Amino acid sequence: MTGALAAAAADGDLLVAQNVFFVAIAAVMVFSAFRCVTTRNVVHAALWLVLVLAGAAAQFILLGSEFVAVTQVLVYVGAIVVLFLFGIMLTRASMGDDETASGEKRVMAAVVAVLLGLVTGGALIESFSDTRLVINEPQPTSLVSDAIFSQYIIAFEAVSVLLLAALIGAIVVARKD
Amino acid sequence: MGAEVLALAFERPPIDWHAVAPELVLLGFGALLTLIDIAALERGRALMSALASIGLLAAMVPILTLALDGADRAMFGGAYVIDDYALIMKAIFVLAGYVVVLLSVNYVAEGDYWENEYYQMLVSSILGMVLMASARDLVTIFVALELLSIPAYLMATWRKRDLASNEAGLKYYLMGVFASAVLLYGMSLLYGVTGSTMLSDIAGGVAAGAAPPAVVTLGVIFVVVGFGFKVSAFPFHTWAPDTYEGAPTPVTAFLSVASKAAGFVALLSLVFVGFWNRTDVYQPVLWVLAAASMFGGNLMALRQKNLVRLLAYSGVAQAGYMLAPLAVAGTSAAVADRALAAVVTYLAIYAAMNLGAFAVIIAVARRTASAHIDSFRGLFRYGPALAVAMTVFLMALAGIPPLGGWFAKFEIVLALISASTVAGTALGVIVAVNSVIALYYYARIASYMWVEDPPEGADTSPISTPLAVTAALVITGGATLVFGILPQWVGRFTEVSLLAAAG
Repeated sequence: MTGALAAAAADGDLLVAQNVFFVAIAAVMVFSAFRCVTTRNVVHAALWLVLVLAGAAAQFILLGSEFVAVTQVLVYVGAIVVLFLFGIMLTRASMGDDETASGEKRVMAAVVAVLLGLVTGGALIESFSDTRLVINEPQPTSLVSDAIFSQYIIAFEAVSVLLLAALIGAIVVARKD
Repeated sequence: MGAEVLALAFERPPIDWHAVAPELVLLGFGALLTLIDIAALERGRALMSALASIGLLAAMVPILTLALDGADRAMFGGAYVIDDYALIMKAIFVLAGYVVVLLSVNYVAEGDYWENEYYQMLVSSILGMVLMASARDLVTIFVALELLSIPAYLMATWRKRDLASNEAGLKYYLMGVFASAVLLYGMSLLYGVTGSTMLSDIAGGVAAGAAPPAVVTLGVIFVVVGFGFKVSAFPFHTWAPDTYEGAPTPVTAFLSVASKAAGFVALLSLVFVGFWNRTDVYQPVLWVLAAASMFGGNLMALRQKNLVRLLAYSGVAQAGYMLAPLAVAGTSAAVADRALAAVVTYLAIYAAMNLGAFAVIIAVARRTASAHIDSFRGLFRYGPALAVAMTVFLMALAGIPPLGGWFAKFEIVLALISASTVAGTALGVIVAVNSVIALYYYARIASYMWVEDPPEGADTSPISTPLAVTAALVITGGATLVFGILPQWVGRFTEVSLLAAAG
């Protein structure tokens, strides 16, 4: 599918369609993100988060980075949100609407969020609004693997130590004794 | 399609095995600890602390051979660099880790702890720090940061049945991951602007005129703030007092010295290589952070009744002293060299004196089971050696000659004055003012130990200190004295330069 997309992108016609898809997906992401933090039901919040993360994966497809897109789905949608849901089910969090969740900190949180959004959004628009990104073909996954096993080999090995240490430590902290 | 051809074209990059030998030794001993734990289970307990210390001392051997060899080594196009700066920092991490093992031996064995896993966590965390000293690209810096932080989060909560320890670990973890998220966002902005994760490429990419200023400013600020949490600079210090108080004391010693130094290593690499061309962005941010940390840390330390909390706030102030030279580093290349040498000197001396202070707290808390300031009343009557040692460490932290701390502060002020700018001189004055404030609360503890009587009904038979803690006291006390009396020794090792690597 991405091959067809790339071929169409090469002659420049599809850029319009890409932009239309981008805006549509972005709108869904923004709406879902907003509902994610405003809903009073913690399970619904996790499900809205799925939409945000799936939207990010879709954006990566539009950029021709199929590997990153699939990783995004596997890791975030597949693993992390499922962990959230397990965490909600295993603890005694209320599954229904939680009326106590509307703290007086809402206003402060909203102010901070809006300010941060204005600052980062403004900086990005000022800096990159004239930049044209031309993606002529999908990026082969071998680029990612080559980078991991050459320039980033030390970081890659360090991550394996990190995972082992985190696993051992988490078992110690979590087990009953 | 074309992918197969590319995959076949892969060539393994050349790896300089001598250069990564310290990391490999630590990795090997970490794996050995895990394997013995699996094979021998509880019977392995007695071996663990000994193996961990042997591993850390063994890692010093390749560090020394690399130092004697003297040549700078760079791998992966400069993403991983072994130079004098990296080596001196690796030595500080490994030796600080060794002292922490000495402090932990009795503490962990006598308490209700998971002992085998504790040393695995410690060695993993030190491995992360050793990687951080050489990392010169964003991905490696981030992975090293997580490798050193995640075991530290877990160690802070190692006293599982104590609610204070649970709180310590959870607070540290939540603040830490929040800081990581801010840091990652900053890194992604820098990568977006420059198209490279290598610090030496970023240096050119963020230069004035080469990149849109708004995004560069935002990226630099986010990265500095992310590491501000790690080094517990004001106002990002809020986790430190609770975490220091709740965590097992040897872990607190580790966090306050090694973890803070690791944050500084990354900050130094970033400022001196990556952001070097953007003095207009990072200098004001660091100036404010430094001044706020000095005043904030010292003023809050004045009111503390718990010695560990007091050292947490004093650690915030010490972070401020170390951030100060960075705020003027960009004035000229000569000032930059001086500022880098000053911070590295301070880190080395701070490691010795702060670990020493925690060693005394651990020794005294074996008797009093408390780090409350009252439990140090009249310590001189029943623990004269400990009272003398504590006084030495406190006066060193305050910066009284001839103990190590004075030389560290002197180097900082010298670096600030040598910039001969208003901002530099003002920071120099702030450092001096804060040294006086800090002297008040350090001296108050000393007077508690020497002048006052022990509290009513306290056990005043002489304190017996375990051999391992005594060894830690001798090492840190000796280092504090030698650094103060013969400062040219430590000065010789810390005269390092990062700008050469930037090219």
